[in-house]
Amino acid sequence: MNLILTVDVILVVIMLVTAWLALTARDLQRAVILFIALGLLVSLAWVRLQAPDVAMAEAAVGAGLTGALLISTLNSMRELQKKKTSEVTPPADASPTPQEANHA
Amino acid sequence: MTLVYQIAVIFLLLNIGAGLIRILRGPTPADRLLAVQLFGTTGTAILILLSMEADNDAYKNVALAFALLSGILGVAFARYGQAPRPTSTPAKEG
Amino acid sequence: MLLDIAVVILIFAASFFFLAGTVGVLRLPDTFTRLHALTKADNAGLLLIAIAAALKADSWEVIVKLVIIWGLVIIASSTVAHLIGRATLQNGQTPWEKPS
Repeated sequence: MNLILTVDVILVVIMLVTAWLALTARDLQRAVILFIALGLLVSLAWVRLQAPDVAMAEAAVGAGLTGALLISTLNSMRELQKKKTSEVTPPADASPTPQEANHA
Repeated sequence: MTLVYQIAVIFLLLNIGAGLIRILRGPTPADRLLAVQLFGTTGTAILILLSMEADNDAYKNVALAFALLSGILGVAFARYGQAPRPTSTPAKEG
Repeated sequence: MLLDIAVVILIFAASFFFLAGTVGVLRLPDTFTRLHALTKADNAGLLLIAIAAALKADSWEVIVKLVIIWGLVIIASSTVAHLIGRATLQNGQTPWEKPS
């Protein structure tokens, strides 16, 4: 009796669910976290495909580096937005000018 | 003996699947980060078990990369990924 | 034979600890308690699995590698627990108390 096929099937199902959730997430932060989780799972899949080198590259680059960069990008985006709203809100909160709408 | 390893790997994969619920539901970003930490630790354990199951010591290098990675991600997230709250003092960040 | 029995027992004990960690992360009421469940139970489970792998290891290099893995995980997890706890506290969340 060999259960290795079951391992693969469960891994594939969890991977597909995570990928689908990451694609359809409304909240950007949730999408980034799900992307990191997906990177870890893909790395496990590479190990199951007997490619540990690729798995190591995927874990370091796909999940670690890209994840950290996305988190940092999210942070700077949020600060930009905060600055923008604090500049915009005092005059009037009704209909921003077309220029500002473009920037937002 | 390989059967024991495979059952343990299946069990840990189901644990990861349950951890997904916390990522989806987690009210604060810190809760989502906790779920990623769960993925990292459980993934390390899965890799050690797989290396025993396949009798291949190279897999343990990937476990080493996982162990390093979850720590770096946690520090990056705790430092840069917190949601802004009016009560906190954001001047300390950055 | 005795070694195999020991390895099986260790792996089952580790599975129990991982189950406890996952249930804690899913069921406990707030971030601090989840932090408590995750960072302790999962590291204990990983230690047991590392001991099981060390019992089956061929050479001492593998054992050194396992020790490094566990050391890294324990350092990273305690650092992250501290950072998350402090950030959550600064965000204004107070620890959960038993309603009485």
